[in-house]
Amino acid sequence: MSQWITLLQKEIIEMWRNFKWIWVPITFILIGVQQPITTYYMPQILDLAGGLPEGAIINIPTPSAGEVLFQGLGQYTTLGVLIIVLSTMGIIAAERKSGVAAMILVKPVSYFSFVTAKWAGGLMLMWFSFLIGYLSTWYYTGILFEWIPVEDFFQSLFFFGLWLTVILTITLFFSASLLAPGVAGFISLAVVIVVNLVSNTLSNLLKWSPSQLTGYAGEILLGKGIPDDALPASIIAVGCIIILLSLSVVIFKKKELAS
Amino acid sequence: MSLIQIKGLKKSFQGTEVIKGLDFTLEKGRCVALLGPNGAGKTTTLMMLSGLMKPTTGSISFTDTKKGEDIRELIGYLPQFPVFYEWMSGLEFLSYVGRLAGLTGKEAKERSLELLQLVGILEAKNRKVGKYSGGMKQRLGIAQALIHRPQLIMLDEPVSALDPIGRREVLDLLEVLRKETTILFSTHILNDAEEVCDEILFLHNGGIVESGTMIELRERHQQAKIDLYFSGKTSEYIPYFSAHKLTNSLMYEGNRISIFVKDIAAARQSFLLWISEQNLPLEKFEVSSMTLEDVFMKVVGK
Repeated sequence: MSQWITLLQKEIIEMWRNFKWIWVPITFILIGVQQPITTYYMPQILDLAGGLPEGAIINIPTPSAGEVLFQGLGQYTTLGVLIIVLSTMGIIAAERKSGVAAMILVKPVSYFSFVTAKWAGGLMLMWFSFLIGYLSTWYYTGILFEWIPVEDFFQSLFFFGLWLTVILTITLFFSASLLAPGVAGFISLAVVIVVNLVSNTLSNLLKWSPSQLTGYAGEILLGKGIPDDALPASIIAVGCIIILLSLSVVIFKKKELAS
Repeated sequence: MSLIQIKGLKKSFQGTEVIKGLDFTLEKGRCVALLGPNGAGKTTTLMMLSGLMKPTTGSISFTDTKKGEDIRELIGYLPQFPVFYEWMSGLEFLSYVGRLAGLTGKEAKERSLELLQLVGILEAKNRKVGKYSGGMKQRLGIAQALIHRPQLIMLDEPVSALDPIGRREVLDLLEVLRKETTILFSTHILNDAEEVCDEILFLHNGGIVESGTMIELRERHQQAKIDLYFSGKTSEYIPYFSAHKLTNSLMYEGNRISIFVKDIAAARQSFLLWISEQNLPLEKFEVSSMTLEDVFMKVVGK
């Protein structure tokens, strides 16, 4: 256990030294907050941009606070996912490629600890960044529109964060299986896009797909309460995480460090 | 007392057999050199012993391991090109691997400082590893291999990448270490092996072609050899020496002729007599002993 903590500490310090603890949360804040702000100032922006004929009446219905916050989450499903994949894709692959993983693993270090401590480090960064970013989005939505109940905020945070965790674990899995960080990132993104596409087109059949959690988080924000399908989808998401993480350990252990 | 036993070790990559069945035993407290030309399979062998690579067939067994014990606790390994977390300082890296190997934070730090002192980079302890020179990285690599006081340290080409001064210092360091632990190191430089080691394993094309202590090797391969050095060209004297009845075989290079003879005493007399009669420009006459290089060339079959 103390070895696991040592490995995790190293991850946390490394992310501090390469400024991940700063740029990832800031990016999450920017991605989220721009949604309520641009929505609120849209009429003025259009006005300033000009180009509309004299006397034209711009009639944009003011969206509800829930819709705005949901759109904010929508930004995380695209840009947020990209940030998570980019910041995680090298987590194992880069260390193996450089050879430093071999330096560590000739010491009596368990492969399980090595992989799971990295996963835990990534998870901390992701949840911290998402929490900070989403909290700021919630705050600006509250100031500019209406306040969403704190309870709804945390429920949507949980379900949406679970989907982000699945994405993080997919990326870790490919980082453990492949030698090139870039390839691992590309394949992870491709897998996420395919899962999204399939789940959206067959949304009636795949109500329990983890990617549906984004929609369920939205329904909570619109005041509809927790949908019935959210719980089974969450259980499946947790199952996917456990399976992917175990497979990462097994594949990483089986692959020879020296090639 | 044997420390580690290797039986029938083989390794294939995509159907090509790189290591073709190794059998050997390492004795406790010895310093053994794994010697061979590039591509002989030295690195692959060390990687299998360190557990970084799995043998295709064969077994590696440590005498001292209890059941279920991780063999990695008993070995320290320095790869040919050691890499570190460049954002850590030398001290941080050593303490980190020390804690991973089971030392407490305090022990790890004390041991790290001790080793930094031993390998001579104590003054750079707080510098980032990314700013270390090649020689300093090599020393840090040796220090990390020693951090958990392993019973066996394996060094892959520890001096090949160093300049003459760095090489000298690392060899001196090995002299110190060999008093405390068992060392297995690979090299293609014959002098290094001869200087530091008690025992030599010759690896060629994935197999052990010769092994033994330096003394055993000398005895086994000793041949009566006379080296003659002339000023100027030697080619015109070759026919005489090669036709001589005491000559077994003969090699020449530059101003030197090396002659393997049947009887040193008779050959010495006969050759010197002829040289003085002909008034040849002889510079040096040497009855030479077998060097490791000769053994190497012989077993490698050139």
